[in-house]
Amino acid sequence: MTDLILTSRMVDHPADSHTIARYVDTGGYKALTKALSEMTPETIIEEVKASNMRGRGGAGFPTGVKWGFLAATEPRYLVVNGDESEPGTFKDRQLLERDPHQLIEGVIISSYALNVHHAFIYIRGEYPKPARRVQRAIYEAYEAGYLGENIHGTGFSLDITVHLGGGAYICGEETALLNSLEGRRGEPRLKPPFPAVEGLYAKPTIVNNVESISNIPWMINNSGIAYAAIGPERSAGTRMFSLSGHVERPGNYEVVMGMTWRDLIYDIGGGIPDGRELKAWIPGGASAPWFVPEEHLETLVTIDDIAQAGSMAGSGAVIVMDDTTNVVAAAHRLVRFFAHESCGQCTPCREGTSWLENVLRRILDGKGRPEDIDLLLEISNGISPGLAWPPAMTTICPLGPSAVSPITSITRWFMPEVEAMIGGSEVSNV
Amino acid sequence: MNQVISQWSHANQERAGKILDAYPEKRSAIMPLLYIASLEHDFASPDAMREVAELTGVTPAQVLSVASFYTMFKRDGVGKYLVSVCTSISCFLQGADEVLEAVEEATGIHHGETSEDGRFSVEHVECIGACGGAPAVQVNYELVEGLTPDKARQLIEWLTDSQPEVVLTDEMQQLFGGQRSFDWGSSEPEGAIAPVPAFGPYGSVGEDR
Amino acid sequence: MSDIAQVTITINGVDHTVDAGQYLISAAEGIGEYIPRFCYHDKLESVGKCRMCLVEVEGPRGKALVPSCTMVVSDGMVVDTESAVVKKAQEGILEFLLINHPLDCPVCDKGGECPLQDQAYGFGAGESRFVEEKRTYLKPIPVSSVVLLDRERCVLCDRCVRVADDIAGDALLTFTERGNAVQIQTFPNEPCSSYFSGNTVQLCPVGALTSVDYRFKARPWDLEHTTSVSVTDPVHSTVDVQTSRGKIVRVYGVENDAVNEGWLSDKDRFSFSTVHSDTRITTPLIRKGDRFEEASWNRALEVVASRLGGYQGAEVAMIGGANNTNEEAFVLSKFMRTVVGSAHIDAQLGDGIEAHLAAAITPRATINDLDTASTILLWGPDLKESLPVLYLRVRKAVRNGAHLVVVHPIGTGLDDVAAHTVTYRAGTGSDVLRKLSAGDGEYAAARELLGSGPVVALVGRTSIAEDPKLTEAVAAFARDLPDATILPLLERSNVFGALDMGLSPTLLPGRVSTGSDAGVAALEQAWGPLPEHVGHGTEGVLGALKAEDISALVLAGADPVRDFPDPRLAAEALEAAEFVVALDAFVTDSSIHADVILPVAVWGEVDGTVTNLEGRVQRVRPSLAPPGQVRPTHDVIDDLANRMGVALGASNLAMISKELADVSPAYAGVTMDFLTFEAGPEGVVVPHGDGVQPLGYIPVEVSVPVVTGEFTAHFAASLYDDGVWVRNADTIAGLVRDPVVRLHPSDAARLAIAEGDSVLVSGTHELIVAFDEQVSRGTIVVPHNLEATKGLAAESVVTVDVMRGDS
Ligand SMILES: Cc1cc2nc3c(=O)[nH]c(=O)nc-3n(C[C@H](O)[C@H](O)[C@H](O)COP(=O)(O)O)c2cc1C
Ligand code: SF4
Ligand code: FES
Repeated sequence: MTDLILTSRMVDHPADSHTIARYVDTGGYKALTKALSEMTPETIIEEVKASNMRGRGGAGFPTGVKWGFLAATEPRYLVVNGDESEPGTFKDRQLLERDPHQLIEGVIISSYALNVHHAFIYIRGEYPKPARRVQRAIYEAYEAGYLGENIHGTGFSLDITVHLGGGAYICGEETALLNSLEGRRGEPRLKPPFPAVEGLYAKPTIVNNVESISNIPWMINNSGIAYAAIGPERSAGTRMFSLSGHVERPGNYEVVMGMTWRDLIYDIGGGIPDGRELKAWIPGGASAPWFVPEEHLETLVTIDDIAQAGSMAGSGAVIVMDDTTNVVAAAHRLVRFFAHESCGQCTPCREGTSWLENVLRRILDGKGRPEDIDLLLEISNGISPGLAWPPAMTTICPLGPSAVSPITSITRWFMPEVEAMIGGSEVSNV
Repeated sequence: MNQVISQWSHANQERAGKILDAYPEKRSAIMPLLYIASLEHDFASPDAMREVAELTGVTPAQVLSVASFYTMFKRDGVGKYLVSVCTSISCFLQGADEVLEAVEEATGIHHGETSEDGRFSVEHVECIGACGGAPAVQVNYELVEGLTPDKARQLIEWLTDSQPEVVLTDEMQQLFGGQRSFDWGSSEPEGAIAPVPAFGPYGSVGEDR
Repeated sequence: MSDIAQVTITINGVDHTVDAGQYLISAAEGIGEYIPRFCYHDKLESVGKCRMCLVEVEGPRGKALVPSCTMVVSDGMVVDTESAVVKKAQEGILEFLLINHPLDCPVCDKGGECPLQDQAYGFGAGESRFVEEKRTYLKPIPVSSVVLLDRERCVLCDRCVRVADDIAGDALLTFTERGNAVQIQTFPNEPCSSYFSGNTVQLCPVGALTSVDYRFKARPWDLEHTTSVSVTDPVHSTVDVQTSRGKIVRVYGVENDAVNEGWLSDKDRFSFSTVHSDTRITTPLIRKGDRFEEASWNRALEVVASRLGGYQGAEVAMIGGANNTNEEAFVLSKFMRTVVGSAHIDAQLGDGIEAHLAAAITPRATINDLDTASTILLWGPDLKESLPVLYLRVRKAVRNGAHLVVVHPIGTGLDDVAAHTVTYRAGTGSDVLRKLSAGDGEYAAARELLGSGPVVALVGRTSIAEDPKLTEAVAAFARDLPDATILPLLERSNVFGALDMGLSPTLLPGRVSTGSDAGVAALEQAWGPLPEHVGHGTEGVLGALKAEDISALVLAGADPVRDFPDPRLAAEALEAAEFVVALDAFVTDSSIHADVILPVAVWGEVDGTVTNLEGRVQRVRPSLAPPGQVRPTHDVIDDLANRMGVALGASNLAMISKELADVSPAYAGVTMDFLTFEAGPEGVVVPHGDGVQPLGYIPVEVSVPVVTGEFTAHFAASLYDDGVWVRNADTIAGLVRDPVVRLHPSDAARLAIAEGDSVLVSGTHELIVAFDEQVSRGTIVVPHNLEATKGLAAESVVTVDVMRGDS
């Protein structure tokens, strides 16, 4: 067995890690039995608190603390966020597809701890195969008595419904996700009230990321303290990183945090292909401000160190760009994404992101004007006043401000290149 | 069991009933039922939306409002094979624009269009979670990773020639794919029979369990 | 928010004490700090979408920009609404809103009253920075037959969607698409056919939604405004009547929180063009054979005075007055009782309820009582069709937690929000009442709800085919529910004011019963002797006319041939009458039988007061002078009385108003001046002040027979019927409902008919059949007051014969 928490089964048993047989054979559902027969909901919540695990969905909020906010009224719901649409992120897809029972066991234990009797797994619509795997695993779990009425005679009952999205990144935002699950437009809700007080169907609801919940069985088997002992104190546990872009070995890596970016990109990712140079990378998904080698290669890969350096660990997506990259074109691609995915309720996000996209498009088309740089920054400032990180917001949710990251990044690190582009240079795509 | 639309196929009626039962509130079934209705009507047509409204107790306008928010409910008709080329950042960095061009060339249609023979629809899409296997394409939401422009062209030719009734991700990956986001493990005989995600409870799976 | 606590907040460095629980944006407005906004509206749920109202609020991590429309004030809150950061943010939002907004202000109906224009005025920098192409859409698309949408002008504030969906319950207008492509739409070929669609136009902060009838009619700065009330039904919504060059061009709702909270039905809003209808009578008409000839007032009034003067008081009757002001009704009442000497007076047309129940039920509810009710019982007309603004108020009450029980023969507009609906076969109401009060079987749950007070009971006749006694029985039952108050429901204009003014055989002005010796004595002191005979109501009057016991009839704006449940009797009575004088604005099915028609002023032209269904007295004000030779009713009656030798002193409204307040106990002190200068903008509910309800009617249990027959009938009212104020109003005249009868599918199966087939109702009227699962078996639903049902008697049992193609 490897010392991995989440991916050892799929590494050791690539052919059938998703089946209940293999899952049980490799120690699966032991945590469930332990939790339901030996532990109370309170002691489980204590373990999760003790683990210091911070949510893996992007915001990095401590899971145990969030669970503590759940209001007492019933019914209450658990919703697993498998919308995974942040460009560069594909870790949840692997967890769903390759080890669905690990997630389901996590859901059952969490539901027991939170006194939930109906849980939902929201999977983005473009993930039919992961959804099939999860649904089949759920059928298997029902057959094996891990789900349904009176689970293994413990008196605890739980149903899980898998819900497929319809193609909308914003549904990853937890309140938009709840609206979507209620059969509404995926528009983020005003907060407060937070989901833990008024969530799905206005009932108390916990929303957690796929990876977060997949960690729960290990914690029950090995204790929260054991989890907390892995890695740096405020970045406890292992963490899935999705490496993509110009790296030699793209893919998902479950790592213990605390290494440097150099380690992650060059040792784990195998460095930049074809002997080219590293130009920049995005450390935590499309929303995050970029890092550059001159400044950040020795920065530590922990939630706090990344934040201190002005970006975020976010969803764990590391997008690497080599020296051939046209940064304006890359920024345009990122901004286009946010403009396309804006839900459209907030004026600054709806109007500002597409304005940014249009200006960048114009620059790429060779029609840039000298005043466009100020304009880009001014528009950005209208979406996120002060252009700081973490961003100030004029919007309901952070999607709008996320679109500003590429603008501040290219103007901060690559101004001469941007200016040259406006000067009328030909567009070299990538 | 909840009441369902009687002109739907028996299997879809059964699915619809189960879906309605799977949620505390009927309205939650709008999106799943839109997929089923899209199978019945070939796309999310006004009739399809009206039926979903009837089943979930909301107005057709409310269904339209939901359907039009999401990109996967096609309201203008769609070809037998929906080819979605990811052109988001990671795929872009790996040459997705050239893959898109190849697909457009091979099908003769552009983003948002459906070929005259109704065989293909082409679209470029934002990130589909295959960044480690960039550039990536989906056919009826079944994934192929690590494409090149050449392989993309071959994929379209293969779809044109062999016209598979069931689009299988493993088969396409084997024939045309390259770099993958991760080890896919064993393959399975399930896939899409229409441009709707192939998910058992919503229909559209090749070899349904 | 009943227990109003206060908090202290600091705005721009100054401390203010404000009511807790409100949003910062409205607290700031209350102390004179107006924060700009597009999406916020105090009658709609906050959505915080436009982001125009951003202000800086100090928090644990320093100052942050927050939308003031979603932030509830809290003690110690420190707010900056004018900082450089705030100004910059607001300018930014405005620029964002303007980049895709067309610059067609000069041709936009909103130009001059547009917050976007106003707020952009002092901010010129924005436009030039946007060199990209603007979003364009096809020019105005109809969202309904009365409302157009120009999507390019839309700022996506969500107000219209919230009004249609949350307030009116008609989720027909929605957002479609997302991001930059978001727009307002209806479903293809399904217009936003809401009775409340005009409210969307009024609330739209820009010129995106416009009403078909106002487009390009006037510029806002040319408009003259009059605050008045709408009298299309007895809810009496407060309105702002806007005129331009001598014509009413627009009617807007005014936020009267006691009544309509700013909302209007489309009938309230769009029926005004009736005032300007070509078909109005503008000169007196005198019958010559089967034609009318125009006549001078002098000649017409001479004829009327001499004819009426030729009868004994008891030989003359008056029907109508419900469309008049209180002052006019008072004058009509006095004229009949003193000059003519008749007690045969009725403002109801056999379609109403017991006069005392309508006038003075105790304890009577106010509309606002709905807001604090635990349970609401509705057993009366379908509010959506008959009293639409009251329908909105009930929806609001339910949104705020009240439980609604609806008892009605067919599905109603409120069923979707009701906790319980009881649907019964028309004619069997008394049986249902018995079971409901006992809490039998299927009624147990509803009965239990009715046991938790405070209960507000809305009672009236569900259809004019229903026995009015049933309403009394329901009121008697409801009165005994915990903390119950009752709101009587009638449907015609100012009928409550008319009854209060004594336009009823059993009532004297000020809710005094004709049976009260003290009341009669007090009025005789002022008026002299009152008629001694017992007065007839409309039904009695019509019967007596037919039997030639009564010879002459005054029609005060009433159309019994249309509105009395038995139109044939009404027509026969009018034919039998020796002399009929009609005070009317139109030639109607009834006034066409008159010997003389006197053209009188209507809403929009009249001044005075009106009383709504809760007894609230409000001012109606004139916006226009009457056309042609048209005169106000009180003036005509005064002239007539003079010619009959009695000085009524009724030419002067102020004098009438004073006399009314002097001699009508429940209206003591409630003069027009009092309403104008002393009562609040909400008017006053009579009895006013310490005034004791003179009548104070308590309903008693009555027994009501159950009706049997193959088909019992429910005559269904609809908002757009063939009434004068719909038929003559261009904007809504086309919306009159199709004349279909509705049956339960199983009854149709029994008769072997399909949807779309025709049946012969009562042997005379051929109507098309539609199926309706929400109709009880054995009930037939017949539309009331449509052209196609003219002359059909509203009987509780009708015959239904199938029309076969070959017969
Ligand atoms: C625009 C936006 C997109 C998001 N997308 C995702 C997502 O795809 N998956 C996810 O787990 N969390 C996503 N989040 C974060 C969620 O709102 C939420 O914080 C998270 O699901 C909580 O789970 P955790 O506490 O386990 O991290 C997104 C947030 C925002 C603002
Ligand atoms: S910031 Fe953008 S995505 Fe987020 S709620 Fe506002 S409009 Fe929607
Ligand atoms: S008024 Fe506050 S966001 Fe629109």
